[in-house]
Amino acid sequence: MKLNLTIQPRFRLNFSPLVWILLTLMGIAFVVAMIRYAYGIGPVSDLSNSYPWGFWISFDLFTGVAISSGGFLMAGLVYIFRVKEFEPLLRPSVLTAFLGYIMVAVALLVDLGHPDRIWYMMIHWNHTSVLLEIGICVMSYLTVLAIEFAPVVLERFPKLHKIAHFIHKFIMPFVILGVALSTLHQSSLGSLLLIQPAKLHPLWWTPILPIMFFTSAISIGLAMIILESSLSSRYFKRGLETHLLEKLARALPVMLVIYGLLKFGELAYSGELGYLFTSGGMSLLFWAEILISIIVPTIWFSIKKNRQSANGLLAGAIIVLLGMILNRFNVSWFAVKHPDPLFYMPTFMSNVKYFPTLPEVAVSIGIFSAGILAFGLAAKYLPVFEAERETEETHHSVRGLKPVPTSADD
Amino acid sequence: MTEIKHHAYLFDATRCIDCRACMVACSVENNIEMDKTRIWVAGLGITGQYPDLQRGTMVYHCMHCEHPDCMSACPVGAYTKAEDGPVTYNPDLCIGCRYCMNACPFGVPHFDYDKGIIEGAFIDKCTFCPQRIYEGQEPACVQTCPTDALEYGDRDELIKIAHERIAAHPDRYIDHVYGEKENGGTSYLILSHVPFSELGLPDLPETPVNEVSEKVMEMTIPFALGWGAVLTAVTAGVALHDNKKKAAANKKAETKK
Repeated sequence: MKLNLTIQPRFRLNFSPLVWILLTLMGIAFVVAMIRYAYGIGPVSDLSNSYPWGFWISFDLFTGVAISSGGFLMAGLVYIFRVKEFEPLLRPSVLTAFLGYIMVAVALLVDLGHPDRIWYMMIHWNHTSVLLEIGICVMSYLTVLAIEFAPVVLERFPKLHKIAHFIHKFIMPFVILGVALSTLHQSSLGSLLLIQPAKLHPLWWTPILPIMFFTSAISIGLAMIILESSLSSRYFKRGLETHLLEKLARALPVMLVIYGLLKFGELAYSGELGYLFTSGGMSLLFWAEILISIIVPTIWFSIKKNRQSANGLLAGAIIVLLGMILNRFNVSWFAVKHPDPLFYMPTFMSNVKYFPTLPEVAVSIGIFSAGILAFGLAAKYLPVFEAERETEETHHSVRGLKPVPTSADD
Repeated sequence: MTEIKHHAYLFDATRCIDCRACMVACSVENNIEMDKTRIWVAGLGITGQYPDLQRGTMVYHCMHCEHPDCMSACPVGAYTKAEDGPVTYNPDLCIGCRYCMNACPFGVPHFDYDKGIIEGAFIDKCTFCPQRIYEGQEPACVQTCPTDALEYGDRDELIKIAHERIAAHPDRYIDHVYGEKENGGTSYLILSHVPFSELGLPDLPETPVNEVSEKVMEMTIPFALGWGAVLTAVTAGVALHDNKKKAAANKKAETKK
């Protein structure tokens, strides 16, 4: 039989190069994850008995949760304080938080020794464990975020508008619950390290770690909202809410200075200022963190010109995020010293230096790519960035909060 | 043997000859692969100048703390501290989060990094041989030790013996029983002729390392409830204020008409 080579393929995948790259990265992560499930964590990572937590925890858990803090900030601002002008930023931030937390959960499924038992946290409670609090908070907040984001999906389908309305009617308790859970959970990530006073360097270990984590999470959230709005406005070629972002950027130096005062105040109070100059590499790391996360962005955002230009906003947000991510890596990895390997480690613990392997990083990158792809798809197909303003007069929901557009698709 | 109220070990570093029979005994007794032993021995080599040569050896296993940090950290409560000493681990509850490994200041719990989810990867650590001690026998490592470097008995009694030994040979020992007070007390007590830090033991305060973390956890629920109430009050306050403003604006608009 002769093949007809001129026939057109019935189904053609027509993705942009970026999407192809993201899909490839996701595929690699999937393969690595399968190898990990089959042969264990050891073969794919450099984690060992001396370094039980590494890149996955520092990047996926600590960084992932931190960059999801924009959601509760905007929800609090718009719903609780009724600052309605920020409404255009609400949905993208809730979406980022929702996706961020899903990414954290997926990453934990790779990192946990028994991912099939993750639900044990719901029934077996050890009240002294900070990790339990984090587990419960992640699970509950993920549910709350799903409820907060559900109307956006439902609005897409005209027949489901009634359900969207119904959720809107009862959204307030969930918003309050969400903000409370976020507060607890952002701060308890800091509490997670309280149990390591003998391992974490004194420049970072302090009893007020939870307060520091919460304060810095606010800055991270503000920076993240600026970043995601800037990037998506560039990618989707839509307008940028510069006047709103300018207001957020104005709050950043204040938050950063409070955070800096806390940091140095605590060191002075506990008489640990000496470590600032005497701990060699650790002192250097600390100053690098302070420089990138506090000093540079505070100066940057204090300059009006930087706050009012799209490029200035984006650059400043990136600096804040880099500095804060360095902080999360420092407290959870770089500044953590495990027992002296020279004598203490038996032969099977011989791996005393930790450096993440390529497959290990590939898992995190793959999960992150999935998050970016999901954000892009949601931004493209769901009313995330638009459809809020035009119907404001026609359709107030009961409490006079965010209107649900009913006529958009009719 | 007298009745044991609180099971404990006493390790005397001056007596250890680095034979590692305890490691073999432990693996055989508990059916552990040899490369995943629950007990391990580290020789520090020979130190000092002739003729004052010294050699030190340290036997490490779980310290069976009085306030175990692994137990405090475990989210699902897989660890239990028996009233009479042993700290044990229940693999049926473990979710494999490895937080206990981070929490333990001695780096004791270790994990099956070479097992997939079908085989099941678990934490492993010394169990204090409950199958032996509750039958009136010594733990396997102690029974096998040829030089009595490892001893087993009641904690209070062992502390007394340790201090007596230091008093009898003040030139031979450092005047300190490691584990009597460290980390809130441990059930593995150590006597040494070289500084404890040289044996690789961390310098710990008398309060357990989980103290601050447990205090913060105690405050969590009251804080959560209080914070929730504050948020609700603020929400209601803002809403009330907003409605009043709106009503005032409406009234104004009406009167103008």
